Amino acid sequence: MSIGESVHLENVTMRFGDFTAVDDVSLEIEAGEFFSFLGPSGCGKTTILRMISGFNEPSAGRVLIGGRDMRGSGPNRRPTALIFQNLALFPLMPVWENVAFGLEMRGMARSARRRRAEELLDLVALGNAGDKRVADLSGGQRQRVAIARALAVEPKVMLLDEPLSALDLKLRQHMRAELRAIQKRTGVTFIYITHDQGEALTMSDRIAVMSRGRLEQVARPDAVYNEPATPFAASFVGEANIFQGRVVGLSAEEVEIETDLGRMRARNGGDLRQGDRAMLFVRPERSSIALGGDGGRIEAELVEMEFEGSFINLRLRAPNRQPIMVQMANDGGLGEMARMASVPVSFAARAAIALPEGELAHQ
Amino acid sequence: MNRLSSRVILRSFILLYLVAFFAYLFLPLLYMSAAAFNQSRFPATVPWQGFTLEWFDALLNDSMLWSSLGNSLLVGAGVVALSVPIGLNAALLLHLLQKRVRTLAYGVMVSPILMPGVILGISTLVFWRGFDVGGGWHLAVLAQTTFIASYCMMMFQARLQRLDPTWEEAALDLGASHFQVMRRIMLPFLAPTAIGAAVIAFLQSFENYNTTLFVYGSDRTLTIYLAGKVRVGLTPAVNALSVIFILLTVAAAVLFEWRRRAEARPAARPVPAKASLGRAAPVPAE
Ligand SMILES: Nc1ncnc2c1ncn2[C@@H]1O[C@H](COP(=O)(O)OP(=O)(O)OP(=O)(O)O)[C@@H](O)[C@H]1O
Ligand SMILES: [Mg+2]
Repeated sequence: MSIGESVHLENVTMRFGDFTAVDDVSLEIEAGEFFSFLGPSGCGKTTILRMISGFNEPSAGRVLIGGRDMRGSGPNRRPTALIFQNLALFPLMPVWENVAFGLEMRGMARSARRRRAEELLDLVALGNAGDKRVADLSGGQRQRVAIARALAVEPKVMLLDEPLSALDLKLRQHMRAELRAIQKRTGVTFIYITHDQGEALTMSDRIAVMSRGRLEQVARPDAVYNEPATPFAASFVGEANIFQGRVVGLSAEEVEIETDLGRMRARNGGDLRQGDRAMLFVRPERSSIALGGDGGRIEAELVEMEFEGSFINLRLRAPNRQPIMVQMANDGGLGEMARMASVPVSFAARAAIALPEGELAHQ
Repeated sequence: MNRLSSRVILRSFILLYLVAFFAYLFLPLLYMSAAAFNQSRFPATVPWQGFTLEWFDALLNDSMLWSSLGNSLLVGAGVVALSVPIGLNAALLLHLLQKRVRTLAYGVMVSPILMPGVILGISTLVFWRGFDVGGGWHLAVLAQTTFIASYCMMMFQARLQRLDPTWEEAALDLGASHFQVMRRIMLPFLAPTAIGAAVIAFLQSFENYNTTLFVYGSDRTLTIYLAGKVRVGLTPAVNALSVIFILLTVAAAVLFEWRRRAEARPAARPVPAKASLGRAAPVPAE
């Protein structure tokens, strides 16, 4: 089957009237990569996908696929296949004709089309559904028909627009693995859109975090989670405790920040200088109930405990009433803590990251 | 008042309403139909002068009536042949236009429906006289098409509003040309409406009088012929004709419903619960 091609976006901007939906995005997606765009609703994800597939021409900048400039090529002349947010299956055709539609458009004979459609349906584990009507399929089955239909035209780049958002949780998790497997098997470049961070983190080789038409960070999933580049990325992906303040001390890798809750130390994640306004982020699972910790220490009041089995979520309140979250492994010592009036929360400087003040994600 | 009795009152009220409603609809038909079998010289049921089939006999021998019926069918067929494609194209054009232009174009396209039929007939006659074309069945076709095409356009347009625009985009994305999108996606989607539009166009044409009056030349249609008879004296032969039409209509409706049920039966098995999930592609009802 076909091997993927690279996709380059060069200073791509998309304006609708005087509204800028995508703002100067530059990006290189490698051939065969599973690449995700992650961002809140309305941040311009679908717009980027529509520019890659050829439904919209960028207002400025270039889209290159496999090194070729795509300006002027319509969607039917690009080596891409788009899986729509609503799937857009053709309800008047049986399943196999849906799958074979692209081949029919290329003039392949009916019997050959039918054979190829059956092969593709086998690939997505729908071997005996060829003659069914689309309306008679379940949500997950429709999903797979849409994938088979897109694969039929042997695209170099597969574009998926939140394809799992209509499915229930269980099916969604199953389809994640399935999509990933199909991508590995075919070697096609997958560009995947989602506003579900779990989906992006588990499936992708790399993730682009977007906000308001701009790229916040492009990195591997673990790097996005552990080394967020902006306050938006840090607060959109995963949970974080956030402390604001001013830089009062600098060392080789660390910064010291004066906050409402005292001085704290963290890795310098963004070229912070003396006197800068800064935000310090620390994940709940890297905060602990302990006296030690060279990053910071807060005497907090315990508000609520959520028991999740292997771990426990603690919701606390700092003296300035700011909520704080700590996630700890279940070591059996719960009862004792519940009796304490105030709990020491601390974290290591290595576990925290300080970034220049910026916009946070609303969640 | 207790709950039970108020429900009884409500029910009897609904029953009474239904009886009155259907009586209003069907009593005139029954009354007129009965007149077809009365020996009276005029279309009337009272006084009843005895049962007869002579008016059906008279009807059979009225050669003028049969030729005018032939003309009506001819004009109807012509109107269907013109109005359905014109309506389809107009609706597709509207579908392509920008929203603001679309409203304007739509207004222009439906205006013939609002215009008095008399004016359409006269205008058609005057216009074609300029080209030395006189009245006749062909001019009746043209005159009627001016407004019947608008009805067809509205029907296609209503259907197109239910077209999911992503079908078109998905087809393009899979390599279809615009022509292929039309042939493989749009036209199959519009086909059921085309049948409906043809039926409506035919019925509109068949019953038209106002517009046809000015353009029929010497090709009298059924409505024109019957209207003419009113002046010289109507006989119950007209009622006999009505009886035949009523029977034909009922037979067609029963046949249609019977076939529809036969077709619906195999598809009526339960759809899996998940099929109704979320934002899956809408499936048009037949
Ligand atoms: N054709 C258009 N005309 C005007 N504005 C548009 C158009 N298409 C998109 N927009 C605007 O551009 C912005 C980005 O839209 P887009 O569909 O790319 O968002 P998204 O990230 O895909 O959101 P979602 O997660 O809700 O699908 C939105 O504010 C939207 O209103
Ligand atoms: Mg979107």
